Amino acid sequence: MELTGGEVELEALEKRFDDVVAVDSIDLDIASGEFFSLLGPSGCGKTTTLRLIAGFERPTSGDVRLDGASLAAVPPDRRPVNTVFQNYALFPHLNVLDNVAFGMRYQKVPRKERVRRAKEALELVELGDYAKRRPHQLSGGQQQRVALARALVLRPAVLLLDEPLGALDAKIRRALRVELKALQEEVGTTFIFVTHDQEEALSMSDRIAVMHEGRVDQVGTPREIYEGPATLFVADFLGVANVMEVEVIGRDGRGCRLRVGTRELWSECGDLGRTGAASAVVRPERLHVTPGAEDGENCLPGMIDRTIFVGSNLQVMIRLANGGLLQASVANDGVDLDAHEQGTPVSVHVPPDALRVLAPSGVTAGT
Amino acid sequence: MSRLIDPWGRPRWLKLTTWFYIAWSLLPVLAAIVFSFNDGRSRSVWQGFSTRWWWGDPNLSVFHDPIYTNALVHSLELAALDMLIATPLGFLLAIGLSRWRGRGSGSANFLMLVPLTTPELAMAVSLLLVFTQLTIIPFTWIALGTTAQVIGQVTFSVSYVVVIVRSRLASLGPEYEEAARDLGASARQSLQHVLLPLLLPAAFASTLIVFALSIDDFVVTQYMSAGGETVTIPMLLYANARGAATTPALNAVATIMVLVTLIGVGGAYLVLRWFGHRSGDKDAAGQMGMDLTGME
Repeated sequence: MELTGGEVELEALEKRFDDVVAVDSIDLDIASGEFFSLLGPSGCGKTTTLRLIAGFERPTSGDVRLDGASLAAVPPDRRPVNTVFQNYALFPHLNVLDNVAFGMRYQKVPRKERVRRAKEALELVELGDYAKRRPHQLSGGQQQRVALARALVLRPAVLLLDEPLGALDAKIRRALRVELKALQEEVGTTFIFVTHDQEEALSMSDRIAVMHEGRVDQVGTPREIYEGPATLFVADFLGVANVMEVEVIGRDGRGCRLRVGTRELWSECGDLGRTGAASAVVRPERLHVTPGAEDGENCLPGMIDRTIFVGSNLQVMIRLANGGLLQASVANDGVDLDAHEQGTPVSVHVPPDALRVLAPSGVTAGT
Repeated sequence: MSRLIDPWGRPRWLKLTTWFYIAWSLLPVLAAIVFSFNDGRSRSVWQGFSTRWWWGDPNLSVFHDPIYTNALVHSLELAALDMLIATPLGFLLAIGLSRWRGRGSGSANFLMLVPLTTPELAMAVSLLLVFTQLTIIPFTWIALGTTAQVIGQVTFSVSYVVVIVRSRLASLGPEYEEAARDLGASARQSLQHVLLPLLLPAAFASTLIVFALSIDDFVVTQYMSAGGETVTIPMLLYANARGAATTPALNAVATIMVLVTLIGVGGAYLVLRWFGHRSGDKDAAGQMGMDLTGME
């Protein structure tokens, strides 16, 4: 399946349902052959965006372009774009083979060729032996693969996936994640993947757009958006983030000087370009917790409030001297549990390169 | 200990009441059926078993007396016409209504259900007035008799088709059609290749329900009738139930009615269950049960 093209551009794309703005002027460029995720909580507009690309909804304004050509006047059946639906939407009155062959009859593929290609597609998703089964006789994971085969057999320029793993249980979901990514690399089609599961998006995507209230908050590689969240929302939605209300009291070549309560911290990433109120975020796994009241640079004194054992690591909640609460993640490499007992005085080191300054909550970035 | 009520005991009273009700409602029907096999003319005193009122008597049995055979044939005629017209019409209305969004769709949806709740007598009287009193073009063409009877039956049975098809459409959701469009089928092709096959069980069920409704109907059919040619079985039953000259042949006719209706409704249920089983949709038959209880 050699493919070229599959480059998608969204231009000031907007969709309103009566008074509700579902998609609020989105601009995105998705490269050919990219595994691109739209990530966000339910109601953020990600599924509507997907449906606009598929053609099930008409944009209120703006445009969807595929390889430079506008799709505005193209109905869904004429778009070289196929969808894997959340509940698969396999036709219950057709067997697996006929489901997979369904789309080819409209591409005027001869009957014999249809059967051959459908079988080939089923082999690709390792369901060659299930051709004569009915969809309801398959497990959820198998149905999901049939839906994939049914869409991929048409050799679309872009494959749209609407939470395709959402209906499956956790273990199968993890296994299919790996499979799906491998499949995408094999066929080279552009995948646009909608999910609310950050782990799913992080583990499979080349790039992710984090959506929030109809808008795109940030676009970047998984590492970029996890380690360098552009907004508090992105920081909070992906993984666990400690958010501290701080005041920027100075800026120089090294970074920003922050005041947290009576203490001062250096931050080497994120810069609002001004001093004053701000939020600072740091991931739990980047905090270093040491017993005792050590007093070095970027250290905050505190006391262990609670320790939760979660197997691979310890979640340590630390009550800071200024009243704030920080969550630290301590790797379980034979760590001494007693040293993390409630009430133990500790010092939390916040590495300057892990502390990011963002616009305070309630203020949108860039304003 | 023995005087206490056992909280794990079976609900005996509930069971008893239920069985009493079943007996109460079914025994009269069974009695009527039994007397259709009476050897004598009486419809209340058992005089031995015979099939003379069914087919034995060359003049007075159900299958020989022209009064009965004509009514039987006319009833079936009306049922066939009702099925042929109301089912496709109801289908179109249901599909149309399910796609109609925006202004007026809410009222239309509600108004479609009005015929289900209108007292049948009110509908029959209004139809009679419209067909006999209005001297505006389409209505002057409609004469009382078979034409008016068919139009009357279609008028109320179409609502039932709409309810059955719409509930099926609602349980299917827009997904299958969207999937078909997504895979390259035009709007017409997705209707033809996906939606209609998926609505097939609803089509069978509606047809059989319309059949049962038509065979069963008395009020509208009576009001729309014109003379002996247009007498149906329910009309015959109504007219002769109290007559002293009436023979057990009438019981035989009633028995036929019961059987035919049972076959209609039972058939619809079985068809839905079979389709449901085939497509893994175990709800289809239960859904019909709900539709029917919602209607009656």
